[in-house]
Amino acid sequence: MRRPDPVALVAGLGIAALGALLLLDNEGTLHLRFGALAPITFAVVGAILLASGLSRR
Amino acid sequence: MNMDEKTPEEPDRDVPLGGDEPTPEAPAGDEPTREQPTRQLGGASEQPRRLFRSRSDRVLGGVCGGVAQYFGIDAVIVRVVAVALVFLGGAGALVYLAALLMVPDEHGAAAANSGNLRGRLLTGLAAVLLAIAFLSIFPWGWNNWFLPGVVVPLGVLALLGLGVWWLFPPDRDRERSGSAGEILRRVVLGACLLAACAVLALGAAWAGAVGGGGVVAAVVIAAGLLLAAGAFIAPVRWLILPALALALPLAIVSAAGIEVDNSIGDRQYNPASVTELRDRYELGVGQLVVDLRDTDLPAGEHRLKMKLGVGDAVLVVPEDVCVSSAAQIGVGQVDVFDSGQEGVDVDWVDRHAPPDGRPTIVVDADIGLGAFEVQHDLDDDFHNFHRFDDTGRKQNAAACKVGRSA
Repeated sequence: MRRPDPVALVAGLGIAALGALLLLDNEGTLHLRFGALAPITFAVVGAILLASGLSRR
Repeated sequence: MNMDEKTPEEPDRDVPLGGDEPTPEAPAGDEPTREQPTRQLGGASEQPRRLFRSRSDRVLGGVCGGVAQYFGIDAVIVRVVAVALVFLGGAGALVYLAALLMVPDEHGAAAANSGNLRGRLLTGLAAVLLAIAFLSIFPWGWNNWFLPGVVVPLGVLALLGLGVWWLFPPDRDRERSGSAGEILRRVVLGACLLAACAVLALGAAWAGAVGGGGVVAAVVIAAGLLLAAGAFIAPVRWLILPALALALPLAIVSAAGIEVDNSIGDRQYNPASVTELRDRYELGVGQLVVDLRDTDLPAGEHRLKMKLGVGDAVLVVPEDVCVSSAAQIGVGQVDVFDSGQEGVDVDWVDRHAPPDGRPTIVVDADIGLGAFEVQHDLDDDFHNFHRFDDTGRKQNAAACKVGRSA
């Protein structure tokens, strides 16, 4: 089996999770404000960059 | 081969002084370079000193080591100063990242042309973002300086880093010579990419503001799942940027609670009597003014709600009216009789028990992005973000106590 691309995998899972949170927020199930959404968003972006950086080593 | 000999296959070029410098044909170590400017490192030289990132004395990118070599001091001192600057508003981090990008290393390779350096840059940037994400869990300073002063600039840097990573991939096959055609190709490609992302971002923000955020979120989820599935079959990394261009504006709009219906423009209401006074005033984008100075208000509580997507909501009241206010603002400020708060996730509460024999306005404001203000006069200069003091608030508190039964 092909070895998965770590950057695409991390980015895909992170973006999908972020999208799910945004969907729940827009549907009214959650009420996320900057104090919660900003760390989550930056964690996702940071994870993507981290995976990208580590995959080059 | 004698370094002074030139073969017909080897074009005339500058030969680095110091024989251990790698050449484009025979790179040394794991970082081949394409540029070999003439220079002499260390020792007596007639050339002016130049700042390089050190390869031998480095922790991250060799910036501090290079600065220490430049000034002839201990690198530890430079590192201590750099770390101290990081905690003084984040300036140290920004300066370090800028130096990492612009200062060439000892072999003359700038970060934008070095895949490994780019990887280290992205890794360092990612570590900073993750640290901030962790630190932001704690309830300190969000409304004052932390988010606008540190997180937002680093977020912009993260996006720029993504752009650099995308535009300058480390794939050696794509690292062509810097011909005019190649440079033009990259400039046009980058401009098109930025324009497309800007269109996506604006569209996502607008859709989120007018109630279509669920659709955009579904598209983001689909893109994420496609990326994850493609990682096992055929990676589609190019999807990362457009997906983030959709997700980040939607996150901002959702976090700010911006809801924009089709009402755009300025609205001013001057009810003449309490029967004309609505219990709810709404506007999508613009300035919403409710002026009660000429309103005949009987004693007792009068409740009203002001809801605004983006803009300014201003409530003007007579001086003999007690105002009991509360506001929730995504990003912006509250100014109630010259006292208030500003920042993100602003929660303002200034409640007063209604005094006997006087009218009391109980106002609740819900604003996505903008300002909520309560004044005795409607003037043009109500945007004074730094005039907050307790004078007006105390006056209103005193007005609210007048005539109150014990």
